[in-house]
Amino acid sequence: MKFSTKSFDGVPPVLSIENLTVGLTGNPAAKPVLNGISFQIRAGETLCLVGESGSGKSVTSLAAMGLLPKSALEVTGGRILLQDRNLLDLSSRQMRDMRARHLSMVFQEPMTALNPVMRVGQQIEEVINTHTRLSQKDRQKKVLDIMEQVHLPDVERIYRSYPHQLSGGQRQRIMIAMALILEPQLLIADEPTTALDVTTQRQILSLISELQAKHGTAVLFITHDMGVVAEIADTVQVMKHGELVEQAPVETLLRHPQMDYTRKLLQAVPSLTPRPARETAAAASALTVQGLRKVYGASGWLVNREPTNAARDVSFEIPRGRTLGIVGESGSGKSTVARCIMRLIDPTEGSVKVGDLEIATLGRAALRPHRRHIQIVFQDPFRSLNPRWTVGRSLVEGPLNCGQDKQVAMAKARELLALVGLPADAIDRYPHQFSGGQRQRIAIARAIAMEPDVLVADEAVSALDVSVQDQVLKLLDELQQKLGIAILFITHDLRVAAQICDEVVVMQKGRIVEHDTAANVLGNPKHPYTKALIDAAPGRDWDFANFRELKAASA
Amino acid sequence: MTAPSQAVSHLQPVLRLLSLPKRMRLGVGPMIAAVVLLIIVLASLFAPLYIPHDPLAIDALNRLKGPSDAFPLGTDAFGRDLFSRVVMGGRVSLFIGVGAAIVSVGLGLVIGLVSGFFRSADAVIMRIMDSLMAIPSILLAIALVALNGPSLWSVICAITIPEIPRVVRLVRSVVLTSREEPYVEAAIALGSSMPKILWQHLMPNTLAPLTVQGTYICASAILVEAILSFLGAGVSTEIPTWGNIMAEGRLYFQIKPMLIFWPGLMLSLCILSINLLGDTARDLLDPRLKKREA
Repeated sequence: MKFSTKSFDGVPPVLSIENLTVGLTGNPAAKPVLNGISFQIRAGETLCLVGESGSGKSVTSLAAMGLLPKSALEVTGGRILLQDRNLLDLSSRQMRDMRARHLSMVFQEPMTALNPVMRVGQQIEEVINTHTRLSQKDRQKKVLDIMEQVHLPDVERIYRSYPHQLSGGQRQRIMIAMALILEPQLLIADEPTTALDVTTQRQILSLISELQAKHGTAVLFITHDMGVVAEIADTVQVMKHGELVEQAPVETLLRHPQMDYTRKLLQAVPSLTPRPARETAAAASALTVQGLRKVYGASGWLVNREPTNAARDVSFEIPRGRTLGIVGESGSGKSTVARCIMRLIDPTEGSVKVGDLEIATLGRAALRPHRRHIQIVFQDPFRSLNPRWTVGRSLVEGPLNCGQDKQVAMAKARELLALVGLPADAIDRYPHQFSGGQRQRIAIARAIAMEPDVLVADEAVSALDVSVQDQVLKLLDELQQKLGIAILFITHDLRVAAQICDEVVVMQKGRIVEHDTAANVLGNPKHPYTKALIDAAPGRDWDFANFRELKAASA
Repeated sequence: MTAPSQAVSHLQPVLRLLSLPKRMRLGVGPMIAAVVLLIIVLASLFAPLYIPHDPLAIDALNRLKGPSDAFPLGTDAFGRDLFSRVVMGGRVSLFIGVGAAIVSVGLGLVIGLVSGFFRSADAVIMRIMDSLMAIPSILLAIALVALNGPSLWSVICAITIPEIPRVVRLVRSVVLTSREEPYVEAAIALGSSMPKILWQHLMPNTLAPLTVQGTYICASAILVEAILSFLGAGVSTEIPTWGNIMAEGRLYFQIKPMLIFWPGLMLSLCILSINLLGDTARDLLDPRLKKREA
């Protein structure tokens, strides 16, 4: 693993945050959201702020940009110095002038950060218009130049494109171009690659460091992904509950973490080394998928579009008590497969057998009694539980549909809550009273309540913090051992797949390109796409949990 | 699941609304509106208990009199007591307003739920709704009255039919957005039947916007009723309503403008209050403002 070894001794700081405190607006008694944060970023340095959700990473960056939502948060103390100017003393007009010119920001989701009804070229140009006076010709030249610098292809065409016509990676390049066009001294990047696929993430990360080297920009990079930290950071700041826990150069931090919390955080990062292989089960197959195909947009009355094969020739089998992972980037068809198997959408052709029962061709009503054999856990625990229903009511919905008695179902629900590690009084509470990880446990309990043979987990841990992710994965594993469920685990994250899957299927553009045991797929990939995926996984040579290089890489 | 507990959870948005004045300080405007509306409703509801005269009793000796002890607001061209007629008229106007609101919200809710959830039904229902929206309520009322004679139900029908499509569209849009929510898909996976998903998962999401829409329908129904009565296409002239009191007063406007002023004042106050409360309800039920309440 090659870490950044740049030295910043004697380089003047670009941004110094001194004893910054942020509290809830109009509520001085409440616990501060940021409690006395101090750090510096020097020219050309990349400082990574890491921490779990709610640790105050984003609040720090918004405070520096002067973008805190006034009705909710306010700075209650400290200073934010950008080259000796205290940003907190500036009027909103002066602050507006500072943005883009001296400090600028790139957000997580480029689709929502761009104006959907304006050509992207004009959006970049708008930045110049607001802050400088240049002739139309110079402006356009400058925009095309920065678009070249962020390696956009065919810049003349993209200049005239709307955001929806570009890919996620291209949109993020536009955002970076907008942020850097006036050559600010400081770039704040708030999870800029979290919404992107790994291969795209890799390109964006190398683009940021390339531009940083060229312009000497200081970068404040916010992320929850330790892999990304290992790739790009010079210095790392670990945050927890609005306080700084530890600060160190990247290699020191990853090799010799001092604080318990940092260790815990690093140990929760799933390793890319696959789990030890379990003996191949002789058990009967719980789920068999044969030649599954889903076509969208076939021609119909007055419609004659080119049909899209969202999935084709998908075949696999999961024995009882085993886990099969489907990995792939967005658009690879992995969720389509999951939804076809769940019959949330109807497959165009192919067969889906749960045990011996063919469910791909059953009618909606005929299928309903058999739904209990196959259950799903969704990605977003904030949306997968009805916010108006108590946890208990959600948990017994399925059993009641199967004709179970309400008292029996409620008693069972209490047992399930204990099984997934939640207190018994959770049964009368509402979803909003729980954290994301707890809600995901509730969603799992709801699925398990049906005593299914197959559990489909569609990106079930992707929205969770690493430490919570770890717990939920352990829970799934435990439930599998106790109940012998077969799990179909869909994820874009190879690390997670390595931790839980016995077999891995790699999908690209709706097809299966590789299907083998987890050890073979991850350790000895055959298909170029699989190789590219593994290659792009950030920090892949580093064993975070053991604070050292991966053995395979050092050998 | 027992029926009462379901009913309670469905009513939650409404209960939340009712307890709001306690939990958050309402502005002065909405407070005044609520008080004014309450007075009008109570006054109309209990009118038969205290009115000094039969609103239909003709008194030829006291035509077009000014206010006096016997006739608090004076009399009209037939010597009928204006005060008694105005408060009794409120009963009809409010009944039509509330009736039209309930009928159109109720029918619109059911049609909208079906239309939002079932794609095949949607195409047909929405075309029917589009054509209903094209019917002007005044013309429809005149046609209905011509067919059935002037009656309360013709008027309610005439007001309700053009309102239904608006409610349907509202409900449908809420269903369309929330049916994609993972919790609805989870319910499908749990084997819940379509009616159950519609009623227990999707319907509660529509209650907040429907409460608001209901108040607007109520206000507009009262107004339309007044217009219809004024045109002579409304409720039979024997029953006093704010509309036909004004219609009759129009002939004597130059001699005695108070004949139009009082029913007009009641009508304006009533509609203004309802609309103000509707606006307040909309602000309070707006999810973006709800966070602050917590």
